[in-house]
Amino acid sequence: MAASKASRIGEEIWKTRIDKVNAELVTLTYGTIVAQLCKDFEDDYPEVNRQLDKMGYNIGLRLIEDYLAKSNTMKRCSNFRETADMISRVGFKIFLNITPQVTNWTADNNSFSLVFDENPFADFVELPDDGRAQNELWYSNILCGVLRGALEMVQMQVEAHFISDVLRGNDTTEMRVTLIRYIDDELPPEDD
Amino acid sequence: MKVASKGHSLFRIDNTRRVWFSNSQDKIDILETNSKAETRFMVSPSWPDTLNLTLVSPDSRTVFSLIIINKAGGLIYNKTFHEGGLNKISTNDYLVLAGTFHGVHAITARLNPVKPVAPPPTPGTNEPPNRPEPSSGLEVLETENFRMQCFNTLTGTKFLLFTETTQTNVDVTIKRIYDLYADYVMKNPFYSLEMPIRCDIFDRKLLSYIREINNR
Amino acid sequence: MSYYFAIVGTQDNPLFEYEFGTSKQGGDGQSRFTEQVRHLNQFILHSSLDIAEEVQWSHGQIGRGLTGGGSRNGRYLKCIDKFFNNYISCFVTGGNVKFLLLHQPTTPTSTASSRSSTAIGANPTSPATEEAIKMFFMEVYDNWVKAIMNPFYKANMEVRSPIFRARVAAAGRKYL
Repeated sequence: MAASKASRIGEEIWKTRIDKVNAELVTLTYGTIVAQLCKDFEDDYPEVNRQLDKMGYNIGLRLIEDYLAKSNTMKRCSNFRETADMISRVGFKIFLNITPQVTNWTADNNSFSLVFDENPFADFVELPDDGRAQNELWYSNILCGVLRGALEMVQMQVEAHFISDVLRGNDTTEMRVTLIRYIDDELPPEDD
Repeated sequence: MKVASKGHSLFRIDNTRRVWFSNSQDKIDILETNSKAETRFMVSPSWPDTLNLTLVSPDSRTVFSLIIINKAGGLIYNKTFHEGGLNKISTNDYLVLAGTFHGVHAITARLNPVKPVAPPPTPGTNEPPNRPEPSSGLEVLETENFRMQCFNTLTGTKFLLFTETTQTNVDVTIKRIYDLYADYVMKNPFYSLEMPIRCDIFDRKLLSYIREINNR
Repeated sequence: MSYYFAIVGTQDNPLFEYEFGTSKQGGDGQSRFTEQVRHLNQFILHSSLDIAEEVQWSHGQIGRGLTGGGSRNGRYLKCIDKFFNNYISCFVTGGNVKFLLLHQPTTPTSTASSRSSTAIGANPTSPATEEAIKMFFMEVYDNWVKAIMNPFYKANMEVRSPIFRARVAAAGRKYL
């Protein structure tokens, strides 16, 4: 499916089928979760990243059904490039009203980057100035988990992680997504 | 409630088993219905005679029941919407039905005719490897009295809808049920994935939606 | 003209302070507090808190937003106190956090010159000055709201954000 068609689908669903919610409510809710995790795990940021990823994973497992139902997807993406376009132009569009750029493909077409020009989770956010958060905390790490969980439900095992974040002072916010394998239906061994 | 026609007179049967004619205020009480779906009516108050009618329901549109099967073949939801539509079978039989259908579905998916396989991308070009579309497997099962349509989501969950054979727009109905499932089951934080569905709101929304169809 | 700006929390605890000078009429943005009085600034501001509260309550119930001449849910109380040549203007946010600005004209103004000059700074109580300070407060208020929306900020905690500090400095340059 062409990228422009995906954009149109995303736009259409966003306009007609999505209940909107105040963006600051989302920002503050997510911010509170991250701040509370930092407190609960006593600023063990790698652990906070893991927890966020785990929460996202559980969201993804469920959210994929909503995505499929809303987008009326009746057939699966024919290749990983199409998957990437659908993630950005339909998935992110309908749930967060953003379309991160899909870029930096590897030659084997198994790994790409999502570059977030805007990130509704990160408005107002300044990372704690304890000298570690800037290097250790991936504030929006929940998104990695969401992608991992959602794609796993449609038979794709992926690995996703952030490689830069404007909150850390980087120029861009970039997530790397790599396809590990397609989980093909494994039939039980034949009984003879 | 359904509308049936016999000859030229239209009538409908309400929940109190009374028959109303659409073109008059007359009503008749149902005396008995035999096994061949022949119904004997007493026409009251003006007609003293009893009347034998065979009820055929050519215009009926009824959704009988819904079954949801998780991706491991387990029965996670089973709801009957119309009493007397399908015979009752035991819970155990439903479980067997779900498991058996799951297996049959998987095998029929493998029966797919051989399609020409797309050539693998030539090395060195930037063409991504294609992922073939999976074959759908068994979609519809029809008997004399009912039709069963299967909707298999991309995540492997199956929705089986049992309807009358004449039912139209089953695709739309199932899609709508899928919407309800995505909203009221998947988004219920206390629902554990792949487990039997016990969600009150889902039940209510589903019932009111199906009632709308069955009463049309 | 020299300025000392402080934000005071609901427990009369300091949350933020910033010292700067005028950027208008060729000012270089540096404060000109003399070493002997600089350390007094905090005391002067602190002592004006009582008056701020008095003014705040005399305007009627708290939360009657616009009575103090401010806008939205904050109230601008204008110049509430004077200590020798130090004038103190105050703004109270809806959450009862006080913005206090101490402004000190470079040379003591005589009554004669204050009438003739409307330049900001030359006359600390002129309408032009009041308006400029109000604009400054409003801009700081906007940024303040953003700063306390930071999920890592805890209520009534000192604001350490360098971004907020930079924005206050920018507001100072722009209006004062």
